[in-house]
Amino acid sequence: MGKKTLWKPESDFFLQQILQNISVEGGNMAQPGVQMQGPEPYGAHGPRQQYFSPYSWNGGTVLAIAGEDYAVLACDARLSEYFSILSRDSPKRYKLTDMTVLGCCGFHGDVLTLTKMLDARLKNYKHEHNKTMSCKSIAAMLSTVLYYRRFFPYYTYNILAGLDEEGKGCVYSFDPIGSYEREVYRAGGSASALLQPLLDNQIGMKNMQGVQRLPVPKEKAVALVKDVFISAAERDIYTGDQIIINVITKDGIQEESFPLRRD
Amino acid sequence: MHLQYSYSLATFSPEGRLFQIEYAIEAIKLGSTAIGIQTSEGIVLAVEKRITSPLMVSTSVEKIVEVDSHIGCAVSGLVADSRTMIDKARVEAQNYWFTYNEQMSVESVCQAVANLAIQFGEEDPDPGAMSRPFGVALLVAGIDEKGPQLFHMDPSGTYVQYDAKAIGSGSEGAQSSLQEVYHKSMTLKEALKSALTILKQVMEEKLNSTNVEVATITREKRFHMFSKEEVEEVIKDL
Repeated sequence: MGKKTLWKPESDFFLQQILQNISVEGGNMAQPGVQMQGPEPYGAHGPRQQYFSPYSWNGGTVLAIAGEDYAVLACDARLSEYFSILSRDSPKRYKLTDMTVLGCCGFHGDVLTLTKMLDARLKNYKHEHNKTMSCKSIAAMLSTVLYYRRFFPYYTYNILAGLDEEGKGCVYSFDPIGSYEREVYRAGGSASALLQPLLDNQIGMKNMQGVQRLPVPKEKAVALVKDVFISAAERDIYTGDQIIINVITKDGIQEESFPLRRD
Repeated sequence: MHLQYSYSLATFSPEGRLFQIEYAIEAIKLGSTAIGIQTSEGIVLAVEKRITSPLMVSTSVEKIVEVDSHIGCAVSGLVADSRTMIDKARVEAQNYWFTYNEQMSVESVCQAVANLAIQFGEEDPDPGAMSRPFGVALLVAGIDEKGPQLFHMDPSGTYVQYDAKAIGSGSEGAQSSLQEVYHKSMTLKEALKSALTILKQVMEEKLNSTNVEVATITREKRFHMFSKEEVEEVIKDL
């Protein structure tokens, strides 16, 4: 044995393992006669890293505002990839029930799968429990659906709009792995960073003195939605073509569209 | 020996009957009596406990259980079998709450338990399913968005909603008494008194605060199991 152990407490197994690897002279040399096993790992051009790229970013923006007795959910209709426009007619709103609409954007493949799965879950729920799922329950379920993909998430930004059990407007916003919150207004997706500060100012009345925050009337909310989307389309190349606005009230869901710049 | 048919549990007889289920339903009639009454204020559950020895600790006999804070359950028959069903009900109620952020409806809990009840004899059963039918009947009582409700479930997994229902050995007499006293505008207090009066009539032992179990499910207190003192308070004015 060419190793000289410095100190040897017989009792401590782990310490012994460590100490056995410390030798005073030379250290551990490769033992003669042992060769590398297996084929040559590299070809003529050297090593090559293989990438797995499961996601894409298809842009799109969604926005929702909750009022006293209504909720507005708006989204643009552009579908992009890098500098290409894939579609000018791909709205990111998905009607889930008679009084709940989901705004969903990000990676379009995940958007399609997620919304299809939610539809199936809602149908099953209706068959199993003999009632339509409430907005609150859809929000809770969506959160669990997203969190179950905690380590390979759906790359989607979700905003849910509808009416709560009392008939009041409600908006739930989500991050891609299921953290969620009920809010009065929220922008999500590509131009969210452009829209949210405008809403903070116009609806939240944030960072102002001598102002009173009042409930926003339905007509003002719809007008505001158009204004902020026009501004977003000016600066964000992944937002444009047209917006689809859904207004949810106790009488049902009304839809209108509004053109945006197409370049 | 000449075998004409090989009878397995899930096989119909030539007359179209499933004997094991019918026998299981018979087994309930050997169990202790349990009564449930639904009112607009809430539901009353009252159960007889058979204390077979003075050395028995009566509180260890548990025939009314909490499923969730808004649902309670009274059992009669092979009480050991009911544990599996109650477990299922509790797990389903919590799973529902976890996923949907609201309390599970009483009927949905019944549906979930019924699904377990009819899985007997299956080749690839879910956890908790058995080779024979469960030998218990349940009175599932709770409050949800539809208000106070009382359901009765038998070993075949059939569940039916009742205004008032009795199960167990004294159920025939108790059920006809319930038919006489029940009316739609009954208060919870009246229902409590009626339930114990009827239980007293059908019980072989003399009714006291140790050989009955009483619980109510109301909007205010949700599931509430009566203490010995509370039971004595009700028995006092019978």
